Amino acid sequence: MTIKQNLTIAVLVVLDALASYWVGQTSQSWLPPQAAAEAILVDDLFRFLVTIAAFIFFGIEGTLLYCYFAFSAAKGDFSDAEPVEGNIQLEIAWTVIPVVLVIWIGAYSFDVYRQMNILGPMQVVHLHLPAGVEPAYAATPEAGNPPDEVIEVEARQAAWSFRYPAASQVTSGELHLPAGKRVRLAMRSADVLHGFYVPDFRIKQDIIPGRTIDLSFTPIRPGRYRLYDSQFSGTYFATMTADVYVDTPQAYRQWLVRAGAGQVPAPVPPASKIAEPSKVLNSGWPTVGPSPRQPEGR
Amino acid sequence: MVDVTSTRIGGEPGRPDPADWRRYFSFSTDHKVIGIQYLVTGFFVFLLAGLFAMIMRAELLTPASDLVDRALYNSLFTMHGTLMIFGWIFPALAGLSNYFVPLMIGARDMAFPRLNAISFWLLPPAGLILLFSFFVPGGTAQAGWWSYPPISLENPSGFWLNGQALWILGVAVYGVSSILAAVNFVVTIVWMRAPGMSFFRMPIFVWTTLTAQIIQLFGVPAVTAAVVLLFFDLTANTGFYNPARGGNPVIYQHLFWFYSHPAVYVMILPTFGVVSEVLPVFARKPLFGYKTVAISSVLICVLSFFVWAHHMFTSGTPDWMRMFFMITSMAIAVPTGIKIFAWTATIWGGKLRLTAAMHFGIGFVATFLFAGITGIMLAAVPIDIHVSNTYFVVGHFHYVAFGGSVTGIYAAIYYWFPKMTGRMLNENWGKIHFWLNFIGLNLLFVPMHFLGLMGMVRRISSYDPQFQPLNVVSSIGGFLLGVSTLPFLFNVIFSWTQGKKAGSNPWRALGLEWTTTSPPPVENFAEIPVVTGPPYAYGQTESPPLSESPGQP
Amino acid sequence: METPFAESPKSSATETDHQDLRLIGVTIFLLSESMLFLMLFVAYITLRLVTPRWLPIGFGGLELVQPAINTVVLVASSFVIYFAEKALDRHKLTLFRLLLLTTSAMGIFFLTGQALEWRSLPFGLGSGPFGGTFYLLTGFHGLHVLTGVVLQLAVLARSFVPGLYTAESHFGLSATALFWHFVDVIWLVLFGLLYLWR
Repeated sequence: MTIKQNLTIAVLVVLDALASYWVGQTSQSWLPPQAAAEAILVDDLFRFLVTIAAFIFFGIEGTLLYCYFAFSAAKGDFSDAEPVEGNIQLEIAWTVIPVVLVIWIGAYSFDVYRQMNILGPMQVVHLHLPAGVEPAYAATPEAGNPPDEVIEVEARQAAWSFRYPAASQVTSGELHLPAGKRVRLAMRSADVLHGFYVPDFRIKQDIIPGRTIDLSFTPIRPGRYRLYDSQFSGTYFATMTADVYVDTPQAYRQWLVRAGAGQVPAPVPPASKIAEPSKVLNSGWPTVGPSPRQPEGR
Repeated sequence: MVDVTSTRIGGEPGRPDPADWRRYFSFSTDHKVIGIQYLVTGFFVFLLAGLFAMIMRAELLTPASDLVDRALYNSLFTMHGTLMIFGWIFPALAGLSNYFVPLMIGARDMAFPRLNAISFWLLPPAGLILLFSFFVPGGTAQAGWWSYPPISLENPSGFWLNGQALWILGVAVYGVSSILAAVNFVVTIVWMRAPGMSFFRMPIFVWTTLTAQIIQLFGVPAVTAAVVLLFFDLTANTGFYNPARGGNPVIYQHLFWFYSHPAVYVMILPTFGVVSEVLPVFARKPLFGYKTVAISSVLICVLSFFVWAHHMFTSGTPDWMRMFFMITSMAIAVPTGIKIFAWTATIWGGKLRLTAAMHFGIGFVATFLFAGITGIMLAAVPIDIHVSNTYFVVGHFHYVAFGGSVTGIYAAIYYWFPKMTGRMLNENWGKIHFWLNFIGLNLLFVPMHFLGLMGMVRRISSYDPQFQPLNVVSSIGGFLLGVSTLPFLFNVIFSWTQGKKAGSNPWRALGLEWTTTSPPPVENFAEIPVVTGPPYAYGQTESPPLSESPGQP
Repeated sequence: METPFAESPKSSATETDHQDLRLIGVTIFLLSESMLFLMLFVAYITLRLVTPRWLPIGFGGLELVQPAINTVVLVASSFVIYFAEKALDRHKLTLFRLLLLTTSAMGIFFLTGQALEWRSLPFGLGSGPFGGTFYLLTGFHGLHVLTGVVLQLAVLARSFVPGLYTAESHFGLSATALFWHFVDVIWLVLFGLLYLWR
């Protein structure tokens, strides 16, 4: 290769790197606010991945575009191209570099996941082992920060309810969380699979009926957010949302007091959610409607 | 070069007689008839399931659920997914492999022609069973194409003949068809190659068909087992998955994804093969790194069985499982990346003939690259926890299935249509089709990634107003994609009857399928050829003559 | 210049066409089939590991003696069909028919034993994961045994058609025997999982 070619390639690589750096920096704006400590970790990893992805993406798409215009055969040129069958060095390079990259991404992701520690020390035992084995997990001393708050979450078709052991077992239809404290949700499902998902927290966990599933995280940014059901759970799946409030510690304490006195919005009666606009096309098929049962404790 | 054109057997193959079309409705055992049966049946399902998708996109134009009722919406996405995968992409690829694998390896037919016909004729009943479920009391299955229990066990109509049961039956029949076809392909490719056609002289399309069908062979039984148990839970009150009866719903997820992730490779591997055929022909260059491309297909096949739980990072999976499957899922990107680099290097320095087939071939590489990149992001557990079950996954998957598989199928049709029918497709309409398709698919699926990052959950028929602008863009792309099938459809119909005569080798391609007539006679070759060289010897061997090559631009 | 293909010599070309690949096909199909059983086994093992109370209340465990006799008979029948094949190889047609008939009789004995066991059990298909997996696995295997017996009887009937089965070419018998060995091996795993695993 001539010096000129080398220089051109070097300039293009630098341009690609600059462009991908810029895209990486922009990636934060694609995501919702960082309302939990975990969101910062996830977003850093995302920015890193987007930067690398953009570098590869621009590099290859640019090459393809260049080929499309530069190597188009002239009209009437029916000859074959120079028969390059391969290039061992190049092939080794594009095998080894991705391997290294994958190991790097894997290690970084592992590290981020370890720091998030969302399943917590009381980790979900995936396949409940026979009774004799289970205490081994329970005996593990709690690593990291023990959760400051425990809130029970119950999911049933098209409705969420939250119970606060700290506020004399009161049940609420909206989730209040103290900012800056590690909370643990003890989640149960009354019927089918559900998923606890607050995009602003960047965390998501399926709730499997018949088990209590723990999820730990640290909300940091006061505000009002939205909780979605992330695992398809029936006809009225899309309506299964709830408000999530991250309160300052004082506001949270006040809320708990008011909650203890019964001054909180009740869990939204699921039946009221069926009041829907009329449709153009109706199948008339029978459905399992939102659960008519009210959550317990009220 | 063998000149087989002069020694035709089996009648006058170039000119189909008027009654000829009837054989496409018969229990023909000719692999070429069966191949076209697969492709045409698949395309009808594609149009239908595409229509379902367009109704969904229309519903998603507004945040409220105001076009179809929620049960129908759930039914539409369930049927859209099931039909597209089992009724369109699998059959279309099986059709291409059916038609071209015997030709490319120099065989007279598949190993078991009658079994081959049975495999095909199981498809129409399976599709009809699924469509019939629109008319049973409870409507179709509505639990998504995964049909996760316990939601799939609800059966709101309470009737024994319900959509979910029919869905299971339909999928099981599709499964039987796939297994029988897989046995046929594996035996054909391993034991029926022409003399001299060693493994490392096989075209990549044959390699990828072989690896894809090996996945079918060992994977389909898993999903069959999963749905058989689901069927008993649904109709016989057993307690395999139903927690209310002591079962465990997560076992279904494992069985289901053990097959259904490799299934994505069944859908993409053969199109990898198609692109590896198309690019060298129209770049007039050998495939770059033939051996590594072939071996990477085998690696993908093996690795694909060890990545399934990345669909379950947010299920009740323990930490060690999340980490193990993160590493394997990332590892599978390496052999996939090797292919993308090899294709790019193949067209680099080529003399590109930018035909419609070549457009789809390059377009495939361009869109599939994006799918691969978002795939790596999804493999990273912390990112996946945020975006799993959101539109990010929907966008990623459709980049694989549409940007990859469907684009690859189009490339194959533009490339091989002259061989299959003896006539050329109109190139200009082909390019119009390409651009409509390319713009439509990017418009449709790019916004989905952003919606997913913002937190829009999949499978919802109403959503927060903040998601509306991107959904509108996406829907417009969807309708454009619907429109893009029209030029293709008319082009195929018109060209099949009136198109320019193709001759036996319009693209001056190397490869055994081009040494026989277009369409090839029954039993393909007058004499079984002996293979003496590599498959993509462009520039190294004498290219087929220019005369009789109407495909030259 | 080098060309990738050459004119074929007449002899080698047609040989690949008429090669009998049917037994290979059956073998590959059985590989796929064993995957199906493997998945059912995995589902059974996992369910058993994660279910706190495995056996239905008031049920002590499965009876062992009758199933053990059944197992011995089924395993023995695999040897009998092997000798039937050998007999055909040595042109002893009568012995071959006798042995084949014995095999199917042993298969029917097995099926009868299974049916009797099913009738005597105090739990049903709906009795939790234990009842479900037990009936599903034994039933699914039983269907395979039944298929094997039907195939054997079909081969037996066809052996009376002159010239259909020769010592050199008897695909039907080979496939049936292979299938029978397969059903046998599956049963051994099943016996271990369902009866011996306490």
